[in-house]
Amino acid sequence: MLQVEKLVAGYGKVEVLHALDFKVEQGQLVTLIGSNGAGKTTTMRALSGMLVPTSGSIRLRDKEIAGLPSHAVAKIGLAHSPEGRRVFASLSVDENLQLGAFARVTGARPKGELQRDFDRVYTLFPRLAERRKQYAGTLSGGEQQMLAMGRALMLNPEILLLDEPSMGLAPRLVEEVFKTIRELRAAGVTMLLVEQFAAAALEVADYAYVMENGHIRHQGPASQLKTDPAVKAAYLGGGH
Amino acid sequence: MQILLQLIASGVAVGMIYAAIAFGYQLTFATSKTLNFGQGEALMLGALVGLSLTSWLGYWAMLPLVLLFGFVQGAIVERLGVRPSIKIKSEFGWIMATIALGIIFKNLAEIVWGREALPFPSPLPTDAYVLGGVRILPVELLIVVGALGMMLAVEFFNRKSIWGKAVRATANDRDAAGLMGINTSQIITLSYAVSSMTAALAGVLVAPRITAIDANLGAVLGLKAFAVAIIGGLESGLGVIVGGIILGVAETMTGYYISTGYKDVPGLVLLLLVLMVKPSGLFGKATIKKV
Repeated sequence: MLQVEKLVAGYGKVEVLHALDFKVEQGQLVTLIGSNGAGKTTTMRALSGMLVPTSGSIRLRDKEIAGLPSHAVAKIGLAHSPEGRRVFASLSVDENLQLGAFARVTGARPKGELQRDFDRVYTLFPRLAERRKQYAGTLSGGEQQMLAMGRALMLNPEILLLDEPSMGLAPRLVEEVFKTIRELRAAGVTMLLVEQFAAAALEVADYAYVMENGHIRHQGPASQLKTDPAVKAAYLGGGH
Repeated sequence: MQILLQLIASGVAVGMIYAAIAFGYQLTFATSKTLNFGQGEALMLGALVGLSLTSWLGYWAMLPLVLLFGFVQGAIVERLGVRPSIKIKSEFGWIMATIALGIIFKNLAEIVWGREALPFPSPLPTDAYVLGGVRILPVELLIVVGALGMMLAVEFFNRKSIWGKAVRATANDRDAAGLMGINTSQIITLSYAVSSMTAALAGVLVAPRITAIDANLGAVLGLKAFAVAIIGGLESGLGVIVGGIILGVAETMTGYYISTGYKDVPGLVLLLLVLMVKPSGLFGKATIKKV
């Protein structure tokens, strides 16, 4: 589904990603974990075209998307729920979701059943349904996170990128976000998840890559990495 | 009292023209944080093109064509002057580029229409309505209705259509809008096109009121509307209407009570006052830039 080869990217003269290789298979939930500054968010930004990679290849269903502007990447079917949520604060919840489906409404992507997808998002996040007419800027952090995820789902994407969906949320809400991720996985949505809560990410993922300083240090089925002594020591808080 | 009301009525009509142009400044500022300093020239071109078309089609049938002309002219300004400077993230390139394009448009207009002021025929009766002793010209009503109508139409488009929502999303967060599949460069071109379209309409609305027009028509109006945009706040739709009316009324009052020679002073004084007291504009929200 998504195949990344020798991806190099950075900001200005600073190279952040050094020749990354990884892939996400159809229907899989893959997670990228690693400490702050490992290059997880930079990877996500390079995938969705927010950042133009220096070199390397990114293929989505055999289409080369490396270097395309983000609106073109979205039209090919990659949805990115970015770090920090980035909802449209002065637009209503409903309008945010409509814009998530912008490529479908304007004919750049197959339209499908828009109404069904609205209903799906509102079923997934009942709290958003109660606040449909409210400005997104007035929502709580957790609600904004749900909106960012729902908005990305409205693209009806081939693959969904979730960058730090738990960031800044209270523990109860983190649990809720992970519950939703599990539901999406069960529904067959292909996902790439970046998380600082490595333990929780490994719990829901099929496959995992561990990043360090812009390299991939470890990889394997999530259930295996969870018990890997090296990974445990470095990212899962030692002996817990 | 009668005189005061009369001054206010005339001031409102002038003020709505300022508001319409200032509204155009807001449109491009929202999506791209840039302004078309040739906005006054867009108005002037709209008026002169409108004049030529009027002799051929009549005033009312000319209007849609002038709107179309303004739309295309604005798109050209964005493509030639603004997009290159946004692309290289130049902070000031667009200022020089839009001023330069404005000068070019003015010179082109002098070549095409000459330097002499040309009479603009009135599409409406020239007898004033008298309302409680206050005289209001039909063309003044046309200005108010036309300018308000245009602003409401754009507002309606932005609220209701998916492309309008894309414009607001781009204004909110350009990167996130891109992730939705919105080509935000295209949206910025659109906002320039609509901005110049507004100015072109303002041109054919104001022309019958001032009765004679030439290539210099835009310079002063564009500058005053800029003051209005700053007074009202660059991010507040309501602000430019109130700001425009304040300036329009202040001018007619200065003209009557002091001297028409000082008519242009209140705009500048108001501008300075607002910048000193409330730099984000009367209706602007003070923004704190988070780093």
